[in-house]
Amino acid sequence: MATGTRTGRSRFTLIFLLLTSATLLTLDARDFEPLQRTEETLSDLISPLRSGADRVFEPVGDAWAGVTGYDELESENEVLRQELQKLEGQQILDSDAVIRLESLLDVLGLPYVQDIPNVVGEVLTANVGNFDRYSVQINRGAEDGIRNGMPVVTRGGLIGRIDGDPGLGHSRVTLLTDPGFEVGVLVVGTEDVALASGGGQGEPLMVTKGLEIDTEVDIGDEVVTSGVDRSRYPPGIPIGTVTDIDFDEARLLQLLTVAPSANTDSLSFVTVLLYDPLEEGS
Amino acid sequence: MTLAGAYVRSGLFLLTALVFHLALFSDLRVLGVAPEVPLAIAVTAGLVGGPERGAIAGFAIGLGIDLYLPTLFGLSALIYTVWGYAVGLLEERIFRSAWWINVLVTAAATAGGLLVYAVLGELLGEANLYTDRLYTVMGVAAAYNLVLSLPLLGLWHWSWPRMLGEER
Repeated sequence: MATGTRTGRSRFTLIFLLLTSATLLTLDARDFEPLQRTEETLSDLISPLRSGADRVFEPVGDAWAGVTGYDELESENEVLRQELQKLEGQQILDSDAVIRLESLLDVLGLPYVQDIPNVVGEVLTANVGNFDRYSVQINRGAEDGIRNGMPVVTRGGLIGRIDGDPGLGHSRVTLLTDPGFEVGVLVVGTEDVALASGGGQGEPLMVTKGLEIDTEVDIGDEVVTSGVDRSRYPPGIPIGTVTDIDFDEARLLQLLTVAPSANTDSLSFVTVLLYDPLEEGS
Repeated sequence: MTLAGAYVRSGLFLLTALVFHLALFSDLRVLGVAPEVPLAIAVTAGLVGGPERGAIAGFAIGLGIDLYLPTLFGLSALIYTVWGYAVGLLEERIFRSAWWINVLVTAAATAGGLLVYAVLGELLGEANLYTDRLYTVMGVAAAYNLVLSLPLLGLWHWSWPRMLGEER
């Protein structure tokens, strides 16, 4: 009898929890605002605990990355060594301290951002699960002026956009490697506005729409955001360089493979451009 | 220990596990795959506490992790609820298990849970879940959770000590 009651109660609990989950799923799919605000509040409540734990465990994560990513580190070291040699050469040429300071400021600056207001954010954690390889969380949110869809860049160029309504002090960035990510682009020197989409982690971007077959494009050409009317990205943000050109004879289009100019694998700091295409248009 | 005390312990355990997952375990990746701590929490809760507690723990940790995932809010909660309940039911009716069976069940349930998550997520319109990489994720996460299951089972036993006269 006791077992029967217990089984009945646990079935009731299961049904109640399943109905609650299904309701939450439905409300979230419909962008129900009170639910999103509740999510943000809960997330903000956990945020201090998480930040504290992040600080404590950061050395462990770094050590682990050092052990498991040794090969990657070696090749990264090689690239850094070459860059260092270049910089050392440059340093000899520009021995004057003022000139060195100017070049440092230039490295830190983002020339293509110009006068667009922006906020620098720290990447909290690359991703927390095994199915979210195309997003990162940053420690800047609505209280810093960040809104859904704003472009996110590093010195290398565009790395993604703000995804969904941000929390007060944090937001999620969808990376441009996401196969669902699309951005209007322009090959420098041409006038065709084309559409580039993410190709997956570690893979190049693909331009499959908008570039006519007779447009002159060469390997190595630079690709930037088009910034056409109402585009969510301002014009001229570097996307990458063309590494392969193919032709779709049936649709009379060129298909480009574009190596991203910004590295999305090991992000520490990113810049969110507080860019609103509607405001810019007006 | 009172029932309220057991629930407080469980709540603290779930919150700590969530924070540890976010700050530590999600960075400890092998072949790009992190341990699925929240799923392991749901499964081990079912193994130690039975179907009802498995479902409640799965729902709670699922909601917690859903706050940080780009997928629909409630998806993890839904799957972890079912998984915690199902594993608890199996344990109660079939396994009545030795510790090593519990460890193997945790690993198998992790792989199964990830498959269901990917398939259900795709059905609900989420992209990039059911990919070629899924089987790697299932294998590595299952191996990870096999190791993690022992401390988690111990911690659940600490959270829910068998109370006098309690059948569970």
